[in-house]
Amino acid sequence: MQSATLSTTASFPRGRVPYTALGAVCAITGFGIYFGALEFKLGAYWFIGVAFGVILQRSRLCFAGAFRDLIMSGDGRMMRAIIAGLAVATVGMSFLMARFVPDPSFGTLPPGAHIQTVGFATVAGGLIFGIGMVLAGGCVSGTLWRMGEGYLNSWVAMGGILVGLWAGTKQWTWWYDHDVSKREATWLPSELGMLPSIALVLAALAAIYVAVLWWELRSPRMPAAAPKPLPPAMTVRDHVTQAWARVFRGHGWSYLTGAVTLGLLGTFAYNIQAPLGVTGGLGLWADRVASAFDVSGLPLKGGDTLAGCTAGSGARWLTIRTMTMSGLVMGAFTASVVAGEFKVRFSRQAVRYPQVLAGGLLMGYASILAVGCTVGAFFSSIPSLAVSGWLFAFSLFAGAFVGVQIIRRLP
Amino acid sequence: MELDVRGEMCPYPAMKAKEALKKLPAGERLHVITDHAPALSTVPWEGAKLGFASEVDVTGPGEWRIRLEKAAAPIDQKNALTAIAARAAELAGD
Repeated sequence: MQSATLSTTASFPRGRVPYTALGAVCAITGFGIYFGALEFKLGAYWFIGVAFGVILQRSRLCFAGAFRDLIMSGDGRMMRAIIAGLAVATVGMSFLMARFVPDPSFGTLPPGAHIQTVGFATVAGGLIFGIGMVLAGGCVSGTLWRMGEGYLNSWVAMGGILVGLWAGTKQWTWWYDHDVSKREATWLPSELGMLPSIALVLAALAAIYVAVLWWELRSPRMPAAAPKPLPPAMTVRDHVTQAWARVFRGHGWSYLTGAVTLGLLGTFAYNIQAPLGVTGGLGLWADRVASAFDVSGLPLKGGDTLAGCTAGSGARWLTIRTMTMSGLVMGAFTASVVAGEFKVRFSRQAVRYPQVLAGGLLMGYASILAVGCTVGAFFSSIPSLAVSGWLFAFSLFAGAFVGVQIIRRLP
Repeated sequence: MELDVRGEMCPYPAMKAKEALKKLPAGERLHVITDHAPALSTVPWEGAKLGFASEVDVTGPGEWRIRLEKAAAPIDQKNALTAIAARAAELAGD
């Protein structure tokens, strides 16, 4: 450890060719070119997914952890970072939406934005998802990036998520007939106008940021680790090595860097078609497998009217959603290998496996009800200026609270 | 006493360590084995809150042993937090 503090090059693996990392980078590029040749969007969303995974792995950003740590230990660092990321995405996506819908009072909704219906399904989805993500130790995107990092628990949770998604798909018609079809998909600018809506969302985010900070300061906090001072860079090689080290080595990025970058990535993705979302892709693949056993649930009743993270018609394997989620695992895997953090890890505590499986099942089912997960129905919905994102967020918080009470009683 | 939380991620390493520390017979040490880098700050922090000083050994690539022992003098929380954060960053970083 001591020698490593003397120079940055000491932390750079030398004399050893990083075959796994090189292979992964080649695979990312190769797949990207292949998917892009099929359709530009597929290639683009593959790379967006990879960037998604790299950002989450490097910053260890976890939506489930943001809610859980705030409730469990009064630690709001991750939640505050996510609020900042939401603010960035809100401004970015609003500017794009203003271009797509110049006159929002007309009642037209911006295409591709995540504006879900506001109803009982949103609340039930948030509550169930909140419990599930605390049990599983990560939300759907968190499970995906930890799968790429080598946590066996997350692979088990993913099994639960896929089955839960399929079960939710099969029961969707009931939810659609009894709730979703009767509800409005409220878009703030239709009611208030574009600029007042942006101002309202930013003000609400700022108020919650301060509330979280107040809550957090009631207990002693873990100070942010000061980055090690780097030796002066004298040559081009030094500069390149240090830039590389800042991104891929050391103790990663701050939560804030991760969340703000994610907000930018969401805006970037929306510029192509739709903001970030992962459960649509997972739901589609779960259903593709189910269709081999003749128990397919797709397409969803009224699916073409839903604005959120949907699975689509169910006829194909490759969509922008499946690209995003498979890119995410690949990006997280590659980033963890490059950073030397990849390791296959399995829990010695037997109860953890049924626990994360149950958490996964709940999350999968809930993300059908809410038409998205913490990404599609929260991190992409609030910046879409949708009311549903807020309702889902508060329900998530309530669900996470219940989840914390459960895990406190587990061995 | 030994607590093997390998394969576990947040919040379990810190949660289980806290429970074990509360039940730890006087004069005994607790060794927490983990492969989850964030545990390098959360476990010693839970220890510090209960008056335990901590040492960390690197036992393998991405694997650590956190040794917790009851400190003779009361622990200054603020200094302990700073020291723990710095050590965790050092260990997880390279």
